[in-house]
Amino acid sequence: MSQDTNTTDDATPEAARDPNEGTARTDGGEPRTDGGANLPVPPDDETPTWRERKERRVGLARLTYEYFERSRYEDQELRGQSTYLERDVLGFPTWPHETIRNLAITSFFIGMLLFLAATLPPHIAAPANPSQTPAIILPDWYLYWSFGLLKMGPLNPELAILGGQKIMADRTFGVVANVVVVSIIAIVPFLNKGNARRPVEEPFWAAVGVTGVVFALTISLLAIKNLTPIDAHLLFDLTFLVPPIAGVFTYAVLKTMREGYMYDLNRRYYRLRPPK
Amino acid sequence: MSIERKEEHDHNAWLAEKDLTPVESMFLSTLIWADKRLRLVDYLEILETLYYRINLQMPRSHTEQYNLDNKFWYWYPLYSLGSFSTIAYIVAAISGALLGFYYAPAQGNPQTATVAYNQITFIMTNLNFGFMLRSIHRWSAQVMVAAVFLHMIRVYFTGAYKEPREMNWLLGIVLISLTLLFGYSGYLLPWDQLSFWAGQIGVEMALSVPMIGEWAAQLIWGGFSLSQATLQRMYIIHVFLLPFVVTALIAVHIGIVWIQGIAEPH
Repeated sequence: MSQDTNTTDDATPEAARDPNEGTARTDGGEPRTDGGANLPVPPDDETPTWRERKERRVGLARLTYEYFERSRYEDQELRGQSTYLERDVLGFPTWPHETIRNLAITSFFIGMLLFLAATLPPHIAAPANPSQTPAIILPDWYLYWSFGLLKMGPLNPELAILGGQKIMADRTFGVVANVVVVSIIAIVPFLNKGNARRPVEEPFWAAVGVTGVVFALTISLLAIKNLTPIDAHLLFDLTFLVPPIAGVFTYAVLKTMREGYMYDLNRRYYRLRPPK
Repeated sequence: MSIERKEEHDHNAWLAEKDLTPVESMFLSTLIWADKRLRLVDYLEILETLYYRINLQMPRSHTEQYNLDNKFWYWYPLYSLGSFSTIAYIVAAISGALLGFYYAPAQGNPQTATVAYNQITFIMTNLNFGFMLRSIHRWSAQVMVAAVFLHMIRVYFTGAYKEPREMNWLLGIVLISLTLLFGYSGYLLPWDQLSFWAGQIGVEMALSVPMIGEWAAQLIWGGFSLSQATLQRMYIIHVFLLPFVVTALIAVHIGIVWIQGIAEPH
């Protein structure tokens, strides 16, 4: 652009020759809409572009800009390097294939719901009576695990440091147990990292999962111990013994399966992507 | 300069010369009517561009690339559990709205059966199709909770919570908790013996928490013992608060799945 002498950028020497300097005229003698060369109008090619303005910014905006540039660059690099196979769309068309299939599945599911509702209608108990506690108090089945955790009083430790006192009441202990269980489930993604996706690839985490699921079942049984035909003390012990046993069993089985499984998987993988 | 429309903007003349079937002319005149007001064509063009950009080429999924279908085809039915819980939620919402026409969260005279209880018995015995309606609502709730639990187990065992999907796992934890709260607040509404004493357990759980327990009991159960206030609060939580919050969170949850794609087992 700086070679272009018609821009106002280096118009000063020409303007010096112009007898009408200072009036609103161009060097061709035409009236100028911007008021002439002496006015402080920024020349076109000195006006920063939007890109330059962004680049010049400081602070958090600057950091954001730099990160976006980096990540865009990284994407481009990765796309360049990858042996990712792309294909034309080979899937079924949305209409009618996918739509009809989804409608069929949905209708079948709703049909099953209606069937259940028609064959197993709900029960309603006697009206609420604050002065008469019923023999059996239960939440719905999906809260049995939580109700069972409230009955873990015997596990509430009596601390020698407090002179045999408990640090919290049994009922508080039960509520805290609920919070702890939910928190443990919530932080799983931050404990178990890596790319492995299948239980055979990570026998330990699969075993943890099975322990959790079985514990949910046994603690639910503990919640309804009135209705469970096992001695209450035995049931309490089994509640905490059965889940780890199931976990260890899972671990053993998966560890055994793993050898052959990973062999097949690796063979298939290296056949497609031979090592360099 | 004239305020007369130029000829090329005279859509009616254009329509007249086109010799369209009634269906076509109806469609076009509706489109033109809406477009004049809402500039629909601009948005349709954007949608069309997006559609072609997205759908021309798709990367092969991991499963296709390494031909792994034979390895974990048995997981595939379990990938429908999330949809099932959403469908059950919709069925529960519809049947719940219908139940809401007949239910009243009122205690009335505490010496006799409450208004709420009487309304439920009215729905179950006198209302046409009422027993079925309550049954559908209850079963869809049960199935939704079951599907949500199984969905969580599936996500755990297929490792679908791993990077970059940790946020959605946390959102899922929030959603399952809210689902249980949905179930609990609904369980209290008939105000029968089971409801009442389940409510009692809830209050006692809240009261056993130090510091904030009493405040929480008053906020959620409306006092330290169950009363009209409890029933009314549970009703508002069940039919007003939770529906908005849970629906919004489900939308976000599914939106994130849409953005990040399905996590296949590797």
